[in-house]
Amino acid sequence: MSTSIQNSPGSGTTAAPGKPIGELVFALLIVSIGVVGFVAGAGIQTPTSASDIGPRAFPYAVSALLVAVGAGLVIQVLRGHRGSADEGEDVDLDAKTDWLTVGKLAGFVLLHAFMIVPLGWPLAAAILFFGAAWSLGARPWWRNLVTAIVLALVLQFVFGGLLGVSLPPGFLEGLGVFGG
Amino acid sequence: MSSVDSFFLLMEGFATAMQPMYLLFALGGVLVGTAVGVLPGIGPAMTVALLMPITYSLEPTAAIIVFAGIYYGGMYGGSTTSILLNTPGESSSIVTALEGNKMAKAGRGAAALATAAVGSFVAGTIATVLLSFLAPYVAAFAVQIGPVEYVALMVVAFLTVGALLGSSVLRGLASLGLGLFIALVGFDALTAQQRYTFGSPFLADGIDVVLVAVALFAVGEALYVASRLRHGPIKVIPVTGGWTSWLRKDDLRRSWKPWLRGTFIGFPVGTIPAGGADVATFLSYASERKLAKGENKKQFGKGAIEGVAGPEAANNAAAAGVLVPLLTLGIPTTATAAMMLVAFQRYQIPVGPQLFESNSALVWALIASLYVGNLMLLVLNLPLVGIWVKILQIPRPYLYAGILVFAVLGAFSVNFTPIDVIILLVVGILGFFMRRFGYPIAPMVVGLILGPIFESQLRRSLAISQGDPVALIQSPVAATIYVVLIVIFALSFLLKRRQRQFEAMVAANADAPDVVRGSVAPTEGAPVESTTPTTSTSTSTTSTTTTPDRKDTDR
Amino acid sequence: MSAIVVGYVPNALGEAAVAEAVEEARRRGAELVVINTTRADRLVNPAYADSEDVSKLEGMLSTTGVTYSIRHSISEATAAEEVVDTAEELSAELIVIGLRHRTPVGKLIMGSTAQTILLSAPCNVLAVKL
Repeated sequence: MSTSIQNSPGSGTTAAPGKPIGELVFALLIVSIGVVGFVAGAGIQTPTSASDIGPRAFPYAVSALLVAVGAGLVIQVLRGHRGSADEGEDVDLDAKTDWLTVGKLAGFVLLHAFMIVPLGWPLAAAILFFGAAWSLGARPWWRNLVTAIVLALVLQFVFGGLLGVSLPPGFLEGLGVFGG
Repeated sequence: MSSVDSFFLLMEGFATAMQPMYLLFALGGVLVGTAVGVLPGIGPAMTVALLMPITYSLEPTAAIIVFAGIYYGGMYGGSTTSILLNTPGESSSIVTALEGNKMAKAGRGAAALATAAVGSFVAGTIATVLLSFLAPYVAAFAVQIGPVEYVALMVVAFLTVGALLGSSVLRGLASLGLGLFIALVGFDALTAQQRYTFGSPFLADGIDVVLVAVALFAVGEALYVASRLRHGPIKVIPVTGGWTSWLRKDDLRRSWKPWLRGTFIGFPVGTIPAGGADVATFLSYASERKLAKGENKKQFGKGAIEGVAGPEAANNAAAAGVLVPLLTLGIPTTATAAMMLVAFQRYQIPVGPQLFESNSALVWALIASLYVGNLMLLVLNLPLVGIWVKILQIPRPYLYAGILVFAVLGAFSVNFTPIDVIILLVVGILGFFMRRFGYPIAPMVVGLILGPIFESQLRRSLAISQGDPVALIQSPVAATIYVVLIVIFALSFLLKRRQRQFEAMVAANADAPDVVRGSVAPTEGAPVESTTPTTSTSTSTTSTTTTPDRKDTDR
Repeated sequence: MSAIVVGYVPNALGEAAVAEAVEEARRRGAELVVINTTRADRLVNPAYADSEDVSKLEGMLSTTGVTYSIRHSISEATAAEEVVDTAEELSAELIVIGLRHRTPVGKLIMGSTAQTILLSAPCNVLAVKL
């Protein structure tokens, strides 16, 4: 099911209804990263060496690329040529964007970052899995919980115990098989 | 290096790869690879990125063999889903789905799977042979080239990956630019000056490649899928018939030529960075269609076996072709190849023309494991089709929650600091918006990886020429490379144009995926009251109800 | 008229359950409500009937002479909840389900639709075994 019909070969853009504010902001973001690249690039210290072009030239070139391409994209978006969103087997391009779920998932990843140290990796990972599965609509809750705990323990065992990746084991501290 | 030398080195590689331990690693790799190839929303590039933590404790040979298995396995797995499900997946499987799904619907699914698997094996093996004997020559040539030529090659890689991989040139270049920019953060390798660190000690060491790759591939994908989750299961076409119906004599007679043609189309297309495997599959399909005669020609569009055999062979041959520039020049042209390059970098193995000399044993063990992996895939794939279809029953929430857990594991284990998990989230959100607005991910990853190498080669070139940029195009080899670049561009645009026309034609003719629906088409979102018969006569009412979101306690 | 709710899945067990429910409906003079739902949370769900299965089921039911209706839907609720809710809604006198033999480990991993129905059903439950 190809919902994106290319209207002009080579540009790969689609004329879609609706206001492309998000896309415009993203294109402007690319321009501004380029601008920041120039401004911050001016602060790069250049040691005097005769034969080298120095550490500043390449950052300038990349910044110029970003500004130029970003500006081109701004113009393209304003003219109504919009990017065709990524297709995928689990993606329904006609569906309305579910910002709530995206927010929940991002929130749980953030929460995880703050819980690794106090709770240990397995517990923090189990909470992330449980939260993410719940956000995405998995039910019933107890199956989510069992799966979360089993997955977290298996990963801790394989990566922490067998492969020696030093994940903080938290409450499993002292059990050799879970590493640490 | 003569081909006799490479033959002996290859045999040594086999001696390594055939050790039971490495066979197990190869088996694990191809199984994981096939599984992720079958699964929606997760591909080989993401998997290699997510499994990067294994490089902390596995020795290089084992890890590289696992990753190579994932790379090849992913190709096999992808064909299974496109034949049995007709899902809109990556563009490289559109062609297979086109004829393969029609075959499956006509009860010839087993034959389609068989010709895809055997074709993949034949093509993969021939292409690996070509790789074995071609790569040493390319490497031997590449060792002699200087920084100027190397710069030229990387310009080719940047521009082809950036401008040709995605559907929009500007978006591809923007993605490339973002990758190059992130690669700049941290200490300059030549002068030890801090660049774009904004005084933060966390940025002084730079942003880790694995972190960015995992964020873009895994977190970005999970968020993107979550934003537009498809509802409604897709019907799997059951594979009927026993072993005997898999590949009949007639099927074999019609398949072997497309397999060979597909191989010799796919391998060269894979070696030059001209748009990847989808161009190869499309070229193969177009040529099979043209070459078919009589009855067979009429079958095209209705389930012609040639239309599965050729493109699937081309697909796998291209996958082997991609390894030529990767192993001989250190230039990745696809996202998965880029991640394999990262794996080499994790082990401080310099990837480039010198790889065949400096790490000969590893490279030949890798190549030997490709032969082994291919054979394993052939043997495993067909009997295990039932299991692969079962994998599709994993509930989506668990799949994407699992991807997130693997992603944070990979991010955290880069430096063992939770700050990396926050960076993972930020870059992941960037990846989400890139997908949403049609920016390809691969150019960014390639830019991120090749950026630092490109800059140091560029600066070395200019140091030699004392800052004269004309030197960059004066070398005859470099000049030739730039001319080839222009030719590649011209050819690719021509090809892409034809491919688009072709895809538009396919989109107009092809059916939508077979979403299982009730007898009455459901109007999702708008609840339809179920009508139950009130009369006592024997009436039947098949009603399709969409229950509104329930606020249950256990949700 | 009282109602009998039966959970259907497109396999031998589901068909056995429906056949048994038809017998019960005849015996009790009840109306038969066949339920098949999916949460649509996975790419492939073999427990969800496609239109072919449904028309086959209808063909079978229409020959029995029992009053019946088929509720075939995509729903947010799990299959177990859908069956129990329907039984409550219709004040059904009986729920009929198919019951597979399961290993303890299988129960742990997959949970059990049958168990949920047994525990929360508002009426008698007839478990059909193959």
